[in-house]
Amino acid sequence: MDSLKEDLKKQIIEQLNLEDLTVADIADDALLFNDQGLGLDSIDALELIVLLEKYHGIQLTNPEEGKEAFKSIDTMAAYIRKRKAA
Amino acid sequence: MKVITAYCNLRAGECLVNGEVVARRDTGSEDSWFKQIYKQHELAYPKFYKMDVLSQAGYLASELIKRANPGISEVYADDEIALVFANASSSAETDRRFIQSYQGGGSPSPSLFVYTLPNIVLGEIAILNKWYGENMFAVLPKFVPGFYLDYSRILLASGSRALLCGWLEVTAGSTDVFLFMVEEKEKGTEFNEENLLHLSQTGAVAAY
Repeated sequence: MDSLKEDLKKQIIEQLNLEDLTVADIADDALLFNDQGLGLDSIDALELIVLLEKYHGIQLTNPEEGKEAFKSIDTMAAYIRKRKAA
Repeated sequence: MKVITAYCNLRAGECLVNGEVVARRDTGSEDSWFKQIYKQHELAYPKFYKMDVLSQAGYLASELIKRANPGISEVYADDEIALVFANASSSAETDRRFIQSYQGGGSPSPSLFVYTLPNIVLGEIAILNKWYGENMFAVLPKFVPGFYLDYSRILLASGSRALLCGWLEVTAGSTDVFLFMVEEKEKGTEFNEENLLHLSQTGAVAAY
């Protein structure tokens, strides 16, 4: 299993206070801001921005980048890898 | 005649709908009690996982009442179903968690902050069902049937045709949830003080 994705799931559960969820409940490709996925909203987007900085040292300042990066665990992991490689 | 057409009692160890047990807590499960009910009844609303315990309790009880009383949303216009809830501890459980999120060097959690009002549960139910009727959440010392009876008179005289009412007390130490639907019908459990008190305590009416 991809450890970055696993870590991201744990961090989302922690940061968003989703204690009832487990890592296994979150699919890598589940849409985070869709009612069929995790059903996150704009408040949670703020939490995800904080999460990126807190755990990965990445500052996200461009809202358009966030829109793409926060689609799913897959896209978040890809975004983190891209930023760290730059 | 105003009657109670469906009701749900949710306690620490069991969940009843119209007096019938629909879920029992598995103390050996790793899942929280509310998550157990969510899974057992195959509910599908991922936002459930984001809710605080008060909203989870209101969501679960209202969904189970809707299942026991199907078609409720089709019978009434979207502004004809009013919500009247109350409890004693307001949102104290979430307030405490919110305080913990920033005490000790952390930062205040926005996702907890949004649940630091008890009436958020009404918004959750209204948004999910697209019910745009009157709503209010009162903080009272204890469950008082007269509050629901008095307030329902005002609401039913001013455009509401059905009420989803509830006592929603969820703290770290106890779960005492009683939701009930009130409608105008020929038959049913009469919406009166005695029946409300009885249903809230036992989850069943001995005799109509």
